[in-house]
Amino acid sequence: MTEKLITRRDFLRVASMAPFAGAFAFGLKGTRLDKAEKARVILIRDENALVSFKRPNPDVMQTMLDEAVATLLDEKDPVQAWKKLVKPSDVVGIKSNIWWPIPTPKEVEQAIKRRLMDAGVPEEKIGIDDQGVRRNPIFQNATVLINARPARTHHWSGMGTCIKNYIMFVPRAWDYHGDSCADLATIWKDYNLKEKTKLNILVMLNPLFHGIGPHHYSDRYVWEYKGLIVGQDPVAVDSTGVRILQAIRRQHFGEDRPLQPPAKHIFLADTRHGLGVSDPSRIELVKLGWKQGILI
Amino acid sequence: MKKLLLLVLFILISGEKGTLPFFGFFGGELMANGSKEDKDNLANLLPSEINGWRAEGKDEIYDSETIFDYIDGAGEVYRSYNFKKLLARRYTRKGQSDLVADLFDMDSSSDAFGVFTHDLEGEEAGIGQDSTYKGGLLSFWKDRFFVSLYAEQETKETQDALFALGRVVASCIKREGEKPGIVSLLPTENLAEKTAHYFHNHMILNYHFYVSEENILFLDQQTEAVLGIYKLGKEKFYLLLIRYPEAEKASRAFGSFSKSYMPDAKEPGLVQTEDLKWTGIRLRKNFLLIIFNAPSDSFAKETMDKIEKRIGYNKDNLNLSLLFEKTRSKK
Repeated sequence: MTEKLITRRDFLRVASMAPFAGAFAFGLKGTRLDKAEKARVILIRDENALVSFKRPNPDVMQTMLDEAVATLLDEKDPVQAWKKLVKPSDVVGIKSNIWWPIPTPKEVEQAIKRRLMDAGVPEEKIGIDDQGVRRNPIFQNATVLINARPARTHHWSGMGTCIKNYIMFVPRAWDYHGDSCADLATIWKDYNLKEKTKLNILVMLNPLFHGIGPHHYSDRYVWEYKGLIVGQDPVAVDSTGVRILQAIRRQHFGEDRPLQPPAKHIFLADTRHGLGVSDPSRIELVKLGWKQGILI
Repeated sequence: MKKLLLLVLFILISGEKGTLPFFGFFGGELMANGSKEDKDNLANLLPSEINGWRAEGKDEIYDSETIFDYIDGAGEVYRSYNFKKLLARRYTRKGQSDLVADLFDMDSSSDAFGVFTHDLEGEEAGIGQDSTYKGGLLSFWKDRFFVSLYAEQETKETQDALFALGRVVASCIKREGEKPGIVSLLPTENLAEKTAHYFHNHMILNYHFYVSEENILFLDQQTEAVLGIYKLGKEKFYLLLIRYPEAEKASRAFGSFSKSYMPDAKEPGLVQTEDLKWTGIRLRKNFLLIIFNAPSDSFAKETMDKIEKRIGYNKDNLNLSLLFEKTRSKK
């Protein structure tokens, strides 16, 4: 057993101190929070992001991505911002997600690819892949990774996150299933992915906030949030996303309905593995665009 | 007379969950004592067409090693219930969304019931031994099978087709299975859901009710546990009853939980937690009983007293039932 065993009572102890803090009870072991700087995260939303159910507007996607990346990197011109992330000699893998009910939208993939090319990366050095990344030469030789995936609840890890999106880099995904995927963050170190990853995009256009059955999906639990969460710190991006998912669950179910199981891998990515920042007080959240129903 | 008794015993042992071996000759029914051939015939439970939807492509078969290829991390749930085989079939109809039929052979009715209780959301559908329907998903269990029928988009047509399909599958499974005996030891009044959750290991316990990152109750595939979630006005309390294979293991689990979860208990087995609710634990032979979120110490004690009596009153029957289940589960 670990030195300090975490039980439900730790959760209750923190929850009794401050609203929302309960979600971060899993971070009790953390010591890094006092040292790290604030992680900037951009939440951008557009009322016209979708043309119909689960179909993004490609032009709006490009605009949202441009604005988010430019703001994230303190640039007015999005291409200049992308040039801070990549150089023409880079080989770039866009790690996507093909989960069929809510994949990473092609419109988002293409918006990323377009700006990579605008920043000087040749098209033949850009790859988009999910389940084939281990066999894909672009990903095998990648000097830069862009991580883009939709937000959703997940049957075993609590939430499908940017952190979790790299599970396809490992040969045996189930090796990371223990304790509700608590230590997914180790993938980023074990496979040398942390330094290569220049941008994380949690697609919040139509997130899944609750799942049922073996396939963990029903259209009934998809809502049109019409947003993107963009940042360089994957933990900060996911931490922001999970707070929104918890908020919509509270609103939908009319009671506090924690994720099942709790998405503790996000918080342990911070406090146990030092991958990034999960504590909201250490995140500079910049909100752009449409504010109605923002939930955070 | 002795020969007759031996014959009866043979039939009981060879017919797991009570199915008589010669039943397999009739009507394409899938045998509950599943030989390999029988299990390969899971497909016999499914029609090739339903309400205009036709089976498309080859049926896919998954086992406990390959299930992740099909349903990713959710496969852990079925593995935790000792599942043996899954058959997946897709139905298509022009102009309609696909239907997906997943038939899980759980190898025992206890685990078929258990995996059904993992996800209890929805309305009773009146199919199989227990069922739910919600959001385009029809789930039920019958005998040793758990069946999930799913429409990629929920419409009136897909819902009708799912129910029709469910009725066909349920009718092809001729036998009914027994629920695990331990479930009957928890009260049913004021349950927040249609039944308690039955499971084996601590990952599933944590899924429904997070207790600890470590397995402080020593749950494993040999333990049987049942978690009841109860309404108490606007509040909820939780009853967890665990049956261990041996009393010694139950005793060690009692010690582990007491030490890890209630080191500040002012009286043995009872503590007020940070939310001002009460947690209590009792050990009785090979059973552990825990109440979480009790509104008062007296409520915790009274509730545990009642269940302890049920365990006591039923212990002879339970032991017999256990012996019977073990005997029948032999291949």
